[in-house]
Amino acid sequence: MRVDRRWLARAGAALFALALLYPLTALFAHIGPWQWGGDVRGSALSSVRVSLLLTGCAMVIIVAVGTPVAAYIARCRIRERLFWQAVLLVPILLPPLALGILLTLAFGPHGTVGKCLEHFGIVMTNSAAAFVSTQIYVGVGYYVLGAVAAFDAVPLTLQNQAALLGLAPRKVFLRVTLPLSRLGLAVALSIAWVRTIGEFGAVVVTAYYPSGMPVQLWVNLQSFGLPAVMPLLVVFLAAALPLPWLVHVLAQRQRHA
Amino acid sequence: MLKAHIVKKRCEITVNVSLELDKGSSLGLFGASGAGKSTILACIAGIEEPDDGYVKLGNLQFFPPSLPLHKRHIGYLTQEPGLFPHLRVSENVSFGISNELAADKEHSHWIETLRDRLQLAPLWHAPASLISGGQARRVSLARMLARKPPLVLLDEPFAGLDRQLVRELIDDLIFWSRTLGFSMIAVDHQAEVLKRLCPEQAIALEAGEIVQRGKWDELCSTPATPLLRSLLTPL
Repeated sequence: MRVDRRWLARAGAALFALALLYPLTALFAHIGPWQWGGDVRGSALSSVRVSLLLTGCAMVIIVAVGTPVAAYIARCRIRERLFWQAVLLVPILLPPLALGILLTLAFGPHGTVGKCLEHFGIVMTNSAAAFVSTQIYVGVGYYVLGAVAAFDAVPLTLQNQAALLGLAPRKVFLRVTLPLSRLGLAVALSIAWVRTIGEFGAVVVTAYYPSGMPVQLWVNLQSFGLPAVMPLLVVFLAAALPLPWLVHVLAQRQRHA
Repeated sequence: MLKAHIVKKRCEITVNVSLELDKGSSLGLFGASGAGKSTILACIAGIEEPDDGYVKLGNLQFFPPSLPLHKRHIGYLTQEPGLFPHLRVSENVSFGISNELAADKEHSHWIETLRDRLQLAPLWHAPASLISGGQARRVSLARMLARKPPLVLLDEPFAGLDRQLVRELIDDLIFWSRTLGFSMIAVDHQAEVLKRLCPEQAIALEAGEIVQRGKWDELCSTPATPLLRSLLTPL
């Protein structure tokens, strides 16, 4: 009997998908009853609040600063663009722990900027400001590089045509470039979101307190073991995954429409 | 009145051309691929900046210094209709029109006239991304005319269209140029298109330089160079 090659390929892809999703079965592992009471519950809920609120703040700043920067880079000539892209890659390529240590030293009481900020009462270690600034460093490179790619995908001919039809550059950006790149921007934002909300290495150095979800997961693991980790892990996945997943699905639907 | 002297170095050639065009008249630029025809239009439109020379339309100095695109008030049609895919046909046609002008009754009537004359009524509310290539050319023509530009630049806007549609679009352009009195510079590979659009004035280009100027009939009857003769000879 001859087997359709397409079915063989489909079976191979299904096996690959199973292997990829297999770790999620650990959510049903027999590790005893999950702990969700007393200290565990309070600290877990606090970490959820910290992560969602402060990551939200970080994302607002990333978008507000990163979008115009990306728009500028997208219009640069190739040499200048390569320079800016190389700069943006630095925080992405730094090992998270190394980034955390560097941020603590640079913005801590021993750094020039840190001293200056302390003068104004802004403490950059173990504070909300430290948490947000670390997340900005972690996520901004991902967002800006993604946004540059999104702006690149908007044909220059359309932007020129809009200008020739009488629109000033700011209006061309708002009425043509931004709407046509919105899904690319959303993808960039979702990647930055999932990267920042899940950041552990850098944040554990700069902002052990207030603890976000990744740090709290680690604390729970060290202090109470796996049964205290699982409830928070479920909440963490529910908070971090839906946005990028949904955006990715929407982007693919539009591409194939 | 358009006055221009454009010097622009390309990969292998240097475009070096002087043009003058009276208000309401039309000019056809003819030549082989790579002769510099589109470069001239791009320099006038401001898509490219000349290396040297000047471009002036009436009292408005386009170059030097380079005037921003949105202040030039010209129409520019290319091979690509360049419609905004996230907008409807009606929104494309009204694109760039100020709110005050859009609210004006006379302007609304003008848009309706364009819509009816260019047979856009059936697709007026359709998304621009879903209309055919021929319909898109009509929409881009309507969009350009909606602002009543004093100068229209046509860079092979009929490429890839069937002859019937090309004939209709040419007739529309001639009709509107007479009605609105705009000047027109057209570039095309097909001599017959330019002959119909711009019978009075033609310029033949080779390697960025003008090799012949005159009426289309003169160009066709006594081409100045062997290449020009070859280009004008039917297949």
